Amino acid sequence: GVFAHLELLEARAYEAAVKQEEAEQQEEKLARLKARVQELRLQRDELRAKVDLQQKGQLGKEGAVSNPAQPSARAVLEWKIKSLKAMLQIFYLTGISGKLSKRGVCFCISTAYEGTYLDSFHLDLLTKPEVQIYRHSVPIFIPLQQIARKYLQTDIRRFLSVLSDHLNAYVGRRYQADQLQEHFSGQIEGTLQRNSLCNLLVFSYNVSSESKTFPFKVRLLYGDPCCSLPTEVVISCT
Amino acid sequence: MDETVAEYIRRTVLKIPRDEIKTMLQKWGFLSEAQLETVNFHQIKDNISQDVVQLCEENSADIKQAAVLDIIYNNIYPNKRIWSVYQMNKTGEETDFFDLTDFKKKFKRRLRSALKNVTINFREYEDNAIWIRIAWGTPYRKPNQYKTSYVVYHSQTPYVFISVSVLRSNLPLLCQALVVASNYHDIREMELRSHSLNSLKDIVFKRYSQNFQTYCPRPLPERNVAPETVDLRIVQENRNEKERIQRLNREVFGDGPQPKIEFAQYKLETMFKSDPKMDVLDKKEPFRCLIKFSSPHLLESLKSLAPAGMADAPLSPLLTCIPQKARNYFKIREKKGLLPGSFVSP
Repeated sequence: GVFAHLELLEARAYEAAVKQEEAEQQEEKLARLKARVQELRLQRDELRAKVDLQQKGQLGKEGAVSNPAQPSARAVLEWKIKSLKAMLQIFYLTGISGKLSKRGVCFCISTAYEGTYLDSFHLDLLTKPEVQIYRHSVPIFIPLQQIARKYLQTDIRRFLSVLSDHLNAYVGRRYQADQLQEHFSGQIEGTLQRNSLCNLLVFSYNVSSESKTFPFKVRLLYGDPCCSLPTEVVISCT
Repeated sequence: MDETVAEYIRRTVLKIPRDEIKTMLQKWGFLSEAQLETVNFHQIKDNISQDVVQLCEENSADIKQAAVLDIIYNNIYPNKRIWSVYQMNKTGEETDFFDLTDFKKKFKRRLRSALKNVTINFREYEDNAIWIRIAWGTPYRKPNQYKTSYVVYHSQTPYVFISVSVLRSNLPLLCQALVVASNYHDIREMELRSHSLNSLKDIVFKRYSQNFQTYCPRPLPERNVAPETVDLRIVQENRNEKERIQRLNREVFGDGPQPKIEFAQYKLETMFKSDPKMDVLDKKEPFRCLIKFSSPHLLESLKSLAPAGMADAPLSPLLTCIPQKARNYFKIREKKGLLPGSFVSP
């Protein structure tokens, strides 16, 4: 009676569901195959184009006609490269930039003095098993090992900041000493005595007043390694 | 003018290549331009040197000035000598305010207090290099100007470059004077020697090209990226392998020129490893062996080994570690422990 009827309906519903599932699967398969056909057609077209180009002997030349309204793939790529370069230039201008490397990080510290961009120094750091310097291009007279001992393991930001201060100050002092030698070579008597860190400068110059000339000797001591101005100045008249 | 000084100047001028004599005398600055004009620099060197000595006689040259000419010659031709690198240590961490006058005074005082008969000359160069020339005598004999040692020191660095020449017995004295003058505590000889002074500097000051993977604002030297108009039917069989070798080589050696060293020496004190059944050596003693690689430019030749197909890439780290470890003399001993192998002594 009723139960038999219900069973019949259930069976029909089940059959319908199965049929529907089958149909859906068929459709999916059809769609996939259609997409595959498209792919293969595209590949075939590309290869045809390549063969054409080769036959015409125009390797590397753009043969495709691009729609001027839409940017060509090449133009988009060029724009991407340009904006990436600009981004990297910005990082470089900030003074400290870095890039992840295979085994750690590679930092670049750029220096400048009063608007003039000067040297760049590189640091290749490993991050495993602990942070350590793998190699670098920091001059030997900068106390890199000292600074690393203090901050590298505990506070890498501080390490980079302190190192950058040292490097910028050194480069600034050196630039000033070079400028002094270049622009005042006439006034300086003898040679300008300096050292690698440019933290001690000694030179002599003459000051003429009336008919007499007074020889002066200057000794500039830069006590703070992170500062590009002297901390002690001794001027004597011999 | 002293006869010995005259002879010394004559011999120094003879060492200089003829085309360079005039420029070097100009650098020396002892003879005036007018005087130099009177010399014919196209005649044979013997005659040139005689003329120069004559002019020096007029200006009454003494040994100090002659020594300066010698320094200038050695500074322009440093590769005629073998240089060793020494490393100094100090415990303090205060900033060093290197005072050149102070350094010279202390150095001379220390050296002369132990040996009165020495000629000491200094000359500073633009790159902060201080050249010291020392001619050694004995307590009873005047300094022999032909037995000279040269020291090159860059202020505020722990490295000293010494070319001793013959008298090694004076070396401890020289080292002591250097340590005292530069405010360091001690000094030791590194296992690094070469004819090329600049390359030694490149190695210890880490000035050789290292491949840093950061953005370089200067344009990198353009590699030839012109499309090869080559027949597409030709296929490069080992392209992948070639590219792998190039890549590994660049990673290890970098892009730029290598520091120039002429040899690498490996002293092996390892056990001979043979099939235990063969029992080649009945006494278990270290197999002593000395391997020396020499070349006019050792590192460049090592760099070209893999691309030339003569060695597998990557090369043994014992060869490639030379610039980074700053040494070209190695002692390889047996590794003490569970794993058999060898380790390089510090």
